[in-house]
Amino acid sequence: MIFAPETFFALATSLFCIGFVGVASRRNVFVIYMSIELMLNAVNLVLATFSRLRPDMGGSVIALLMIGVIAAEAALFLAMIVQLYRKKRSVDSDAFADLAHRRWS
Amino acid sequence: MPEKIVLTLLASFLMVGALTVVVARRPATGAIGFLAVLLAVAGLFALLAQSFLFLAQILVSVGAVVVLTLIVVLTINLKEEQFPKERFKPLWFVTASIVTAPFGWLLYETLVSVANRFPEAKEGFGTIEAVGKTLFSDWVLPFEILSLLLLAAMVGAIIIGKKEQAYDLRT
Repeated sequence: MIFAPETFFALATSLFCIGFVGVASRRNVFVIYMSIELMLNAVNLVLATFSRLRPDMGGSVIALLMIGVIAAEAALFLAMIVQLYRKKRSVDSDAFADLAHRRWS
Repeated sequence: MPEKIVLTLLASFLMVGALTVVVARRPATGAIGFLAVLLAVAGLFALLAQSFLFLAQILVSVGAVVVLTLIVVLTINLKEEQFPKERFKPLWFVTASIVTAPFGWLLYETLVSVANRFPEAKEGFGTIEAVGKTLFSDWVLPFEILSLLLLAAMVGAIIIGKKEQAYDLRT
């Protein structure tokens, strides 16, 4: 094995930072959703690296459970995007700032 | 040497794909970049000798999540004038980059620190058998909770995706 673990940590850090920049600076809800997925995948990469570093399968198991959580999140988020697009005809995240002045009847 | 080439290739795929996701104006382009990122992460799992994680990443993330994302993006089919008007996008990029700058310092520290090596992979590390044994001995409860979470997400997605009148609980 010729790689250093630092390479993987550096890649994961860069991926997480890029994902954070995407969440913080874009208004398209698709981009926000994909950036959140990028951050989750960065965490997965760190978990797998640690699991390899001190040989212990716990980290891989958490990463595996995390992949399931990512799938659940994708299903919910995309259903929300479709429903909101159906109501508002827009994917601008500002168009969804709607709970702030909603009258609950 | 071949491993180094593969690693470099995967790293460049990862970075280019992630930047495409963040910068791309059309969501379909971003979805392609997202696909590249997930494939690169799967390749990095393979380099880490996590064969089962590689399999799961390919099956679940690339096979299900990206396909679902692409279907939704292409079904909604945004026109050019429907994109959100992001007048201050460069400004926001600069601000968010400044906020994440401490991570850049961390990255530098990581890269200049002493490179320690991975230990030799034991026989059967990361295989389905090893992961399954750990999963069903030490992690049974989180696994069951995850199945409940998936069920709840499925029901929630169906209910959210329904038509308008289904929301009125009084009828």
